Amino acid sequence: MSRRVVSLFAALVFTGVVQGAAVARAQSAAPAGIADQVELCSACHGEDGRPVNAETPIIWGQEEYYIYVQMKDIKAGRRASEIMSGVVADLSRDQMRALGKYFSQQPWPRLAFKAQEGDEAVANTMASAGQCAQCHLSGFDGDSRIPRAAGQTDTYLEKTMLDFKYRRRLNAPDKASLLETFSDNDIAAMARYLAALQPH
Amino acid sequence: MNAMRKGIYGFFGTALGAGLSLMLAISANAQEVMNATLYGDMGVVSQDMLNRAGSDGNNFLHTNGNYEQTRYYPARQINASNVSKLRPAWIFQTEIVETMETTPIVVNGVMYVTTAFNHVYALNAATGEQIWHYKHNMGPVTTYCCGPNNRGVAIYNDRVFMGTLDARLVALDAKTGKVLWNKEIADPELGYSETMAPTVANGKVLIGTNGGEYGIRGFVKAYDAANGDLLWTFYTTPENSVGVWATRDATGRDMLRDIAAEKAALAKMGDPYKTLGGGVWQNPAVDLATNRIFFMAGNPSPDLDGSLRPGDNLYTNSLISVDLDTGKYVCHFQYIAHDVWDLDAVSPPVLVDVKDAAGKTVPGVLHAGKTGHVYVHNRDDCSLIRFSEAMVPQENMWVLPTKDGERMLPGANGGVEWSPMAVDANLGLTYAINLHQPMTYHVESTPYPEGKLWLGGAFKVIATEEQWGNVTAVDYNTGKIRWQVKTQQPMIGGVLVTAGGLVFTGEGNGQFKAYDSETGSVLWKFQAGAGVNAPPASYTVDGKQYIVVAAGGNTQLNYKRGNNIMAFTLAE
Ligand code: HEC
Ligand code: HEC
Repeated sequence: MSRRVVSLFAALVFTGVVQGAAVARAQSAAPAGIADQVELCSACHGEDGRPVNAETPIIWGQEEYYIYVQMKDIKAGRRASEIMSGVVADLSRDQMRALGKYFSQQPWPRLAFKAQEGDEAVANTMASAGQCAQCHLSGFDGDSRIPRAAGQTDTYLEKTMLDFKYRRRLNAPDKASLLETFSDNDIAAMARYLAALQPH
Repeated sequence: MNAMRKGIYGFFGTALGAGLSLMLAISANAQEVMNATLYGDMGVVSQDMLNRAGSDGNNFLHTNGNYEQTRYYPARQINASNVSKLRPAWIFQTEIVETMETTPIVVNGVMYVTTAFNHVYALNAATGEQIWHYKHNMGPVTTYCCGPNNRGVAIYNDRVFMGTLDARLVALDAKTGKVLWNKEIADPELGYSETMAPTVANGKVLIGTNGGEYGIRGFVKAYDAANGDLLWTFYTTPENSVGVWATRDATGRDMLRDIAAEKAALAKMGDPYKTLGGGVWQNPAVDLATNRIFFMAGNPSPDLDGSLRPGDNLYTNSLISVDLDTGKYVCHFQYIAHDVWDLDAVSPPVLVDVKDAAGKTVPGVLHAGKTGHVYVHNRDDCSLIRFSEAMVPQENMWVLPTKDGERMLPGANGGVEWSPMAVDANLGLTYAINLHQPMTYHVESTPYPEGKLWLGGAFKVIATEEQWGNVTAVDYNTGKIRWQVKTQQPMIGGVLVTAGGLVFTGEGNGQFKAYDSETGSVLWKFQAGAGVNAPPASYTVDGKQYIVVAAGGNTQLNYKRGNNIMAFTLAE
C-alpha cells in the first residue's frame, strides 16, 4: 500500500495536480478493498466526477467493463500513459474489476461544452464513413466494452483519437486503422461534437 | 437485476424446501387469473407441431417458419387481390428503442418477441396486450459485434429459449416468463456473444456463437431442453484447418493467395484453429428425413489479415452439415478459402428440392452469400450444383486489401447479409434482399488484443458513392434472376413469402412493402416510422390472418431506431 501511495504522489507532483489530493475524499462510500484507490483516483478524475482538467477523462458513469479493460491494458503496456501506468502498476485483477464496478455506478457528470459551427456536419460525415454507431450505438452512449463518448472531456477525446491514429494508443488496433483514414482537423471536430453531446 | 437473481435463488430454495411439484403448482396458480382473460390456452408445443410447422396456417413456430427454413407461410387469406386493404391491427411498443432483428414466434394466439439487450415479451397476438415481460440480468461483460441485437426465441414444450449478449442460454416458462435454467455457453471475456435465435429439435436446443470479429473458435452446441445440460459441441474450426490450398472461390475466380508465404507461415506458427473465428450467426436447418442439420459458418479471424492464419481456414465461410444426435461432421462446402474480405456465409440455409445439373430433382440446400450469389447445393454431400447470376454489382474481385485501402464490390456487408431468404417451391423462386454499399478494404497486421475486436484492418464505406439495395427473385433451378426491384437504401432484415402470392420485406427508411411474388410489383406499403429491418412473420387467430414485423431500425447500417411490433390484418 505505502509504496503505491508514494508512486502515486510522485505522479501527482509530476502533473501538478497535487493540491487537492491530500484532502481528497471519495463522495460515495467505496468498498473496503479499494477505498484508498478510489480516493487517489478522485485526485485527478474528480471528487464529484468532474475531472480536474480537460486532458483527464470522465470515469464516473463510464462502462464497467471498459474501465476494467483500460486498466488491464495500461498495466500490460498496450496503452501507454505515463500518469496512469504508475497508478495501476500494483493493482490486482480483482481490484481493477472492483474499481470498474464502483466508478460505473457513479453518476456521469454533465459538463457544459459547446461545439463550433460546422462540427456537426463533419462529425456526421465521419460517423457514416466510419460506421461509428455500429459499435458506439446511436448517441455514442456506449455499452460494456464500448466506452461512452458522448459528453466526455473534449481535449481528452481529441488526444486519445490522435493517439490511436499515430499509434500511441495500441490497445485497439482496428480503431487505429480506422482513425488513420481521417484528417487531424476532422478528428478535432469530432471530438468537439462528441464532447457537446449529452448521454441519454 | 436483483429481482432476477432472487428469482433464481427462490427457485432452488423452494424446490429444496417444499419439493419441485409444490413449487410448480404455486407458480401455475399465480398465473391462472391472467390466463382466464387470454385467448386460447398457451398449451405445449409438441415435437409433432414443430415438424408440421410448414403446413400450420395458425402458428409461426420457427424463426424461419419451418425446419426447412423456407419462410413460406401457407395461409392465403391475405393475398395479392386484397393486400391493398392491409391495415395495422395493433402496435406494441417495447421498452428498448434500439436495433430490432427479432422474428416473432406465435403459438395458439400468444406471441413471443425479443428486443435488443435481451428483453422478451409475451403478447396477446390478437390484441397486442402484454402478458409478461422478461429482462435478462445482463452481466457486465458483453463483446458482441454489430449491435446489441437479438433475433428471437425458440419454443418447445412449455418453454421458450433465448441466447444472450453475455453468451448465456436461458430457458423461460412460456406461461410466466420465469427463468427455468440459465447456462453459460462460452466466456464473453474471450469474445463470445449470442444474437441468434436457437432452434429446438428432438429435445435439443441448438445454438451457435458470434465472435468472428474476435479471436474465438466458432461452434454449434446442443443443450438438453429439459435441464440445459450440454449434449455435444461441434467446432467450426477443426484442429487441422489447412485444407487443400484452394486458389479459386466457389465461382472459379482467383483469390490471389500467396500459397508459398502461407506455407512458410504455417511451418512457423502452426495451425491457427484456436482463434480462427468461424462464428455461426443464424439458425441451422433441420433435415428430419436424414436427422442432419445444416448451418453456415462465417469469416475467419482476423477478418482482413490473412498473414496470421495460413491455410484454407476450414470450415470458415462454409455450408456445414452434422448429425443431429451426435454433432458429428457429415459434409461441408467452402465458398471462399482463406477469406480476407469478410464476404462470408451468414444468411441461413434453406432446404428445398432442386434440379441438379442433369435436370434430376434432388434434395438441395440454398444459401445466399455476401458475394451476391445464391448458391445451390446437393444435400447429400454439400457439393455445389450451381450459383446464381450476381444480384449486385461485383467489381475488382478479388483484390487484396492494402494499408491504404482497395475498393472492391460488394462491400463487406454484402450482397446478402444475415437476412434470411424466403422460398416459394411452387414457383421455384427464392427471394433475397441485397445491399450495394461500396467500401475500401484496409489491412493492418496486429496480434490478437486479448478478447478485443480483431479485424486486422478496417472496412470503410466510400461516402461519396451512391448506396442502394434490392429485392431479388432467383430461379434456383437455373440460377437466373426472375425479377429484381431496386430500393432506396441497402437492405437488411429478411423476407416472408405467403401462399397468397405475396413477398413481404421492410426497408431502412421505414417502408414495409408487399410485392407480387411472381412479378415483383409493389402491391402495398406502409410507413412504419423507424427502420423495418427484421424478418416478418404471419399467423392466424380466430380466423383472421395477420402479418407481423418489428420496426426498430438497425445498428449496423444506422437506420432510424424504434421500438414497435406491428401486426397487420385486412380492414373489415
Ligand atoms: C495523476 C492523475 C491521475 C490519477 C491519480 C488517476 N488517473 Fe486515471 N487517467 C488520468 C489521465 C490523464 C488519463 C488519460 C490518459 C490518456 O490520455 O491516455 C487517465 C485515464 C484513465 C482511464 C481511461 C479512461 C478512458 O476513457 O479511456 C481510466 C479507466 C482511469 N484513468 C482510471 C483511473 C483509476 C481507477 C484511478 C485510481 C485507481 C485513476 N485513474 C487515477 C489521470 C489520473
Ligand atoms: C468496430 C467497432 C467500432 C467502431 C466502428 C468505432 N469504434 Fe470507437 N471504440 C470502439 C471500442 C471497442 C473502443 C474501446 C477500445 C479499447 O478497448 O481501448 C473505442 C474507443 C473509442 C474512443 C475512445 C474513448 C475513450 O474514452 O477513450 C473514441 C473517442 C471513439 N472510439 C470514437 C469513435 C469514432 C468517432 C468512430 C467513427 C469514426 C468510432 N469510434 C468507430 C469500437 C468502435
